[in-house]
Amino acid sequence: MAHPAPPLVVARADLAALLFIRHFETALLELFAQGRVAGTTHTCLGQEYIPVALAPLLAGDHVFSNHRGHGHYLARYDDPAGLLAEIMGRAGGVCGGVGGSQHLWRPDYLSTGVQGQSVPVAAGVALHLQQSGRGQLAAAFVGDGTFGEGAVYEGLNLAALWRLPLVLFVENNGIAQSTPTDRQLAGTIAGRAAAFGIAYAGVDTDDVGEIRSAVGPLLAAVRDGGGPLIVEFRTRRLGPHSKGDDSRTPAELAALRSADWYARTRALDPVTFDEIDERQRARMAAVLADVANREPAGQWAGTQWAAA
Amino acid sequence: MATETLTIGKALNTGLRRAMERDDKVILMGEDIGKLGGVFRITDGLQKDFGEERVIDTPLAEAGIVGTAIGLALRGYRPVCEIQFDGFVYPAYDQIVCQVAKFRYRSRGNVTLPMVIRIPFGGGIGAVEHHSESPEAYFAHTAGLKVVSCSSPEDAHFMIQQAIASDDPVIFFEPKRRYWEKGPVDTSLGLDAAAPLHSSRVVRPGTDATIVAYGPMVKTSLDAATAAAEDGRSLEVIDLRSLSPLDMGPVYDSVRRTGRLVVVHEAPGNIGLGAEISARVTEECFYSLEAPVLRVTGYNTPYPASRLEEEYLPDLDRVLDAVDRSFGW
Ligand SMILES: Cc1ncc(C[n+]2csc(CCOP(=O)(O)OP(=O)(O)O)c2C)c(N)n1
Repeated sequence: MAHPAPPLVVARADLAALLFIRHFETALLELFAQGRVAGTTHTCLGQEYIPVALAPLLAGDHVFSNHRGHGHYLARYDDPAGLLAEIMGRAGGVCGGVGGSQHLWRPDYLSTGVQGQSVPVAAGVALHLQQSGRGQLAAAFVGDGTFGEGAVYEGLNLAALWRLPLVLFVENNGIAQSTPTDRQLAGTIAGRAAAFGIAYAGVDTDDVGEIRSAVGPLLAAVRDGGGPLIVEFRTRRLGPHSKGDDSRTPAELAALRSADWYARTRALDPVTFDEIDERQRARMAAVLADVANREPAGQWAGTQWAAA
Repeated sequence: MATETLTIGKALNTGLRRAMERDDKVILMGEDIGKLGGVFRITDGLQKDFGEERVIDTPLAEAGIVGTAIGLALRGYRPVCEIQFDGFVYPAYDQIVCQVAKFRYRSRGNVTLPMVIRIPFGGGIGAVEHHSESPEAYFAHTAGLKVVSCSSPEDAHFMIQQAIASDDPVIFFEPKRRYWEKGPVDTSLGLDAAAPLHSSRVVRPGTDATIVAYGPMVKTSLDAATAAAEDGRSLEVIDLRSLSPLDMGPVYDSVRRTGRLVVVHEAPGNIGLGAEISARVTEECFYSLEAPVLRVTGYNTPYPASRLEEEYLPDLDRVLDAVDRSFGW
């Protein structure tokens, strides 16, 4: 973030959502460290405000998420136990334990760990939403690094050509795994949007209310048939790429942490903040206690095909 | 009865037309499939009759086409994608293998993707490598996909409709060099009159050895059987039709009678469908076999330049030679 970040004014419910995601992700990293979760995971620490700001704007829409998707899910659905059970392989997971952290499905939600893959799929859903004419849109979250993938451009071309109600929310955290954006992205994301004639907006603030007032009208234009939109959030990844694999220097990490929303928001009203924070921490602990005591998710007894 | 004589290409066209008439959720997508009717004219006239919204000319974008079709299938459509040539399916491979194939599993059976990906495949038309390949094993290897290939006009007409009606994703391989072969099709019949999509079939009965083939190699095998009959050898030819799932029952029955099996396909032999069929027959019919299962396949090289394809492609002589080797065991 280029400019000094101002203190944040956040509504109580939004603050609760932000803090819950923070505690969920922190707990997850601890579970990994303790060997209680296998596989891999990518936390959205530092980026929580993006899905929290967008959630009410996307209520009836179709959302496509990526590998860094826990916040996308938690802000959209009141189902933290479903997500944690999915990740921990316990009964009651969103996909019965077969999807894990990165492959979630609900009727209006789909995530994938394969970068860029969801953009054409979102274009297909957007094509249907356009034809059904109810003003819904398809929104896909992608990282800056994902702009290296060819499928993104096939999807963008189709979306621009057919003026589809498709929105890409780009979470540009300045890094892709270990490679800084300026080492993997030629030009800019704005330039790429311009090349397709796609509307573009850059967002530097992490103020939930400001984001809503800036992005809301842009989404309304998409719903009205204005064609696709790319919104680029310049954000910060506080945690490692997955677990224990941060390649940035301690100074870089300290700078990111000092710009984080958590401390700035707390500074405004520590008493209220701490009260909400404590409640969300306890809520996460309760979710964990519940899920950790569940039976393992059973094997799926289904077959690879619907019909023999 | 309304039996007509149709080419395989025309029979696919009439089959697509039937499917579109039956269900307005059937949408065709692909490169140049509208006004042009596709490079092989399989969709000829369909955009004129069903409109641009149901027969969609797409950009050059195989990942985009298949990805968009996934999105449409998620929303209740039955998209049918045309891949212009076999060698152009690879850009869509990620979407097919990582999304199309896995959706049912990932959603624990809540979502299946009723979509068809049509691929003209195989050589024999004097074209370059990426217009002549046989990539079927990549897909048959992948759990969650169904893979079929037609070899006659009748099958072309009905199998494409059955594939579209299927709730599972189907990769539909069309024997491009046989598009112009003619045969009878009773287009008045409904789908219930057709053989099940995932069934193999004896297309020529015989007693001395069994030949298993699919797609373009069925004709080659039938020609070989005709030639062998002149030498007093009776070959039974089985058209697999479905490459995944395999319907091995008729193959086992046949091998138990003949004791000899030759599998024929254009794709390279290395770790291909012939190997799978050979393994299964060995497991099930070991004591009936008079000779090892033999394979007649393309060579383990990239598809060659067109002037070499006659050397590369299995032909009547190579099939008969394999039959001789089987008898000489
Ligand atoms: C097609 C593909 N290639 C490689 C990977 C491995 N991978 C996972 S995340 C990632 C970096 C993604 O960077 P970016 O899009 O900037 O998102 P971020 O992780 O920063 O949120 C990589 C290389 C992948 N998931 N998919």
